[in-house]
Amino acid sequence: MTRLAITSPRQTNARSVSRLMAILLFCLSPGILLSCWFFGIGILLNILIATVSALAFEAICLIFRGKNPKVQMKDLSAVVTAVLFALSIPIGMPWIFIVAGIGFAILISKHAYGGLGQNPFNPAMTGYLFLLLSFPLTMTTWHVPIHDLTGSSISPLSIEGIRQSLVASFPFLAFDSNISTALIDGMAMATPLTEYKLASPNALASALSTDTSLWSRDASTGWEMVNIAYLLGGLTLLGLGVIRWHIPLAIIGTVALLSLAFYSSTSAAITGTPYMHLFGSATILGAFFIATDPVSAATTPSGRLIYGVIIGVSLYSIRVWGSYLDAVAIAVVFGNFWAPMLDHFFKPTSYGHKSKFSQLVKGLRL
Amino acid sequence: MNFLARLLSSQHSTAVHKTTGGITPAHFKEHSLRSQIMPTPLPEELWLSLKQRDGKMLESLVSVGDRVLKNQLIATPTTAYGAPIHAPTSGQIKEITAKHVVNSFAERQLHIVIAVDGQDKFEPLQPMTQYQSLSASQLIEKLHDQGVGGLAGTDFPTPGKLNLTMQSQTQLLIINACECEPFITADEALVREKAEQIVLGAEILQQASNAEKCIVAIANEMSDAIQALKLALANSVIELVLIPTKYPAGGERQIVQAVTGKEVPSGGLPSDINVLIQNVDTAYAAYRAIVIGQPCISRITTLAGTPLKTPKNFEVLFGTPIPFLLELCGNDVLTHESTIVGGSLMGVTLFDDNVAISRATNCVIAASLKWFPDLPAELACIRCGDCADVCPAKLLPQQLYAFSRSQDSENLEDQNLSDCIECGACSYVCPSNIPLVQYFRASKATELAQVQQSQLSEHWQERYQYRQYRLKKDKEESKNRKARLTKDRSTKTDSADFSRSKAKADIAAAVSRVKKRKTESALRKTQEAQDVTGKSQT
Repeated sequence: MTRLAITSPRQTNARSVSRLMAILLFCLSPGILLSCWFFGIGILLNILIATVSALAFEAICLIFRGKNPKVQMKDLSAVVTAVLFALSIPIGMPWIFIVAGIGFAILISKHAYGGLGQNPFNPAMTGYLFLLLSFPLTMTTWHVPIHDLTGSSISPLSIEGIRQSLVASFPFLAFDSNISTALIDGMAMATPLTEYKLASPNALASALSTDTSLWSRDASTGWEMVNIAYLLGGLTLLGLGVIRWHIPLAIIGTVALLSLAFYSSTSAAITGTPYMHLFGSATILGAFFIATDPVSAATTPSGRLIYGVIIGVSLYSIRVWGSYLDAVAIAVVFGNFWAPMLDHFFKPTSYGHKSKFSQLVKGLRL
Repeated sequence: MNFLARLLSSQHSTAVHKTTGGITPAHFKEHSLRSQIMPTPLPEELWLSLKQRDGKMLESLVSVGDRVLKNQLIATPTTAYGAPIHAPTSGQIKEITAKHVVNSFAERQLHIVIAVDGQDKFEPLQPMTQYQSLSASQLIEKLHDQGVGGLAGTDFPTPGKLNLTMQSQTQLLIINACECEPFITADEALVREKAEQIVLGAEILQQASNAEKCIVAIANEMSDAIQALKLALANSVIELVLIPTKYPAGGERQIVQAVTGKEVPSGGLPSDINVLIQNVDTAYAAYRAIVIGQPCISRITTLAGTPLKTPKNFEVLFGTPIPFLLELCGNDVLTHESTIVGGSLMGVTLFDDNVAISRATNCVIAASLKWFPDLPAELACIRCGDCADVCPAKLLPQQLYAFSRSQDSENLEDQNLSDCIECGACSYVCPSNIPLVQYFRASKATELAQVQQSQLSEHWQERYQYRQYRLKKDKEESKNRKARLTKDRSTKTDSADFSRSKAKADIAAAVSRVKKRKTESALRKTQEAQDVTGKSQT
């Protein structure tokens, strides 16, 4: 009885990459569904277009790289990239932009570097940045329910609302071009963050003071609720051990501290309120779902904390002092630049070795 | 209630420190713990490996055809890394031949093969009743003679360990009963049934190591064994410490961390921080060696796995072939896929089942597809960090993996690859099914090969330089000799005359010497003759 060499350990646990990714998608779903409720099915169309194109690009890349797509695509990483990308871009993006962005994410940012596990930058965010730099206007035009502006009673989930969303994603579906453009223009509205960034301070102040009803189907409230759903999903991810606490805590903590430190009632129109920074923007989504992408993030415990702080600081700085609207993508990619260095310098002290400090001194001497 | 229970139990046990990493895999222990430890019938043959831990060979004291008795010394160690072998039963030496061993793939080593005669005739035992009065070094010598040690998997002879700790004053002796790996129940069964003997053995080991304090560390889920130990320790100064059950809590370094809160320095031994660790198996063997006088010829081995009808713990003679044991348990050949020696996490899957039980074999698993399905394909590392969370050595397996793949030896060293204890916790949790430990073993082997290569090249460089030096020296010498010869030739006649006259003088001297001796001997003979006649007259 002779056999091939089988190596230890022979026992493994049941976790797999595809399961981790599936849990991640599951934890995103409440936020996505609430988004639908508040803003229409545009977000689902985004996700659909992004996912289909991501899987197509992924399959093409894998075949060209001589891998078996049937095995490799089970990891669902392309789907996660697609969904995160779709959540970052404005609702109701024309389909061709989405395909272009996903193409950049999968082809250039992921497979050109050697596929899953090898990409130094977050593919979804590099795809987003590619679109932001190429089509700045489209990327900053957010579509929200028409009734917010006109006071009409079209619900986002009514047939008319769905039609509007479809037309926004697939402009060629609009046979009556006059109406459709009017509708799209009418649907275009900023996120709370855009509003604060571009609107006059007075308008913002009044918006902030009057906007108290949480359950009204109102744009800014919708964003809060969606963010709370993302927060719950993120905490579930933490609880299930899919992500570690370091990065979300560091990002949210840094943003909260900075926005508190620079907050005063007189300058709220310029610096924004802490509440708005956390729940009126993509901070929560970024902290729990995007920045925690393990491939491109720092991988040591202390490295992760610093990585989170770097992202938090750049997030706040770009929002408040920079010229971009929301800065999660830029901040995350900026953090990605730091990750290899953080991994090198901030290693945990191995068993039986001297303290971290002496190791740092040794590392700096290199 | 829980708090109360902890308060009550804290009277018995010292506080336990937190250990890093670790996993809690499924145990698979209950099956083999159902029955008591059983002796095995005598197998037809026993295969006793002559290899020592340092790779050198024991010296065999018997040759083919010799008859041996049980307990008879048949091989002695050549260095401090070996333990003497005693014949586990009576029989005839059939052959001394190369056979497969557990820990190396397809490698064969010298074994003494005993054809068992089934009569089990034995040499009388020599118990030491007054062992309390012996000194530490006398005890160590006795333990060495009885072949105690190396039962805990690392094969490190106990007397060597004891000697090591004699030099560095041992403060703490830890008797390790934290058998944390799935499937293995040999220690638990032993403690359950032989707690009193283990305590006596622990006292002997404490006496031999001059340790100030002795602790028995046991996993907190082994309730029966804990009960037995508590009873046995009732009148003893030895303390009981309950270690939280996780894998690898029973590792040497992890036990030290849990009991003392200190870490064994990297590359060092527990003796560096004045701690000595011995397995319960060793304590039991020490008891048998000293109190009963029984040399170490057997150990407790767990047989487990679904193909076995009756998984249980056996008291197995060293050298018992594994197929014999599997058959004894009713092995179902149809579902038996492979054999693992050791637990499911660090155990070695056998290349060839025809391997014998050695000192270190604490478990044999008959693996079936039910509990050991084929591992799914290896996927890309996503650097999730699960491995780093469970690493007991606080390493970063995800980084080590990347550097292993790129064969970046500088960074591997920087990431402390050598501190990896190869426990397999990282591979266990890896969601991408990467055989991380295998990568690390390969990298370690490459590092070792590189070191050996550089040593070898240094050696050859030295030899080359020496050769160059020698050639140069020879050249110079021959030049000198030539110069001397030419010089000699110029004075040749003088020296030749001189030597000829000298030879004549030598010859004359020799002739005179011989003459002198002859006259002397003639003189002595006449004197002796006179003495004899004088004696006879009186």
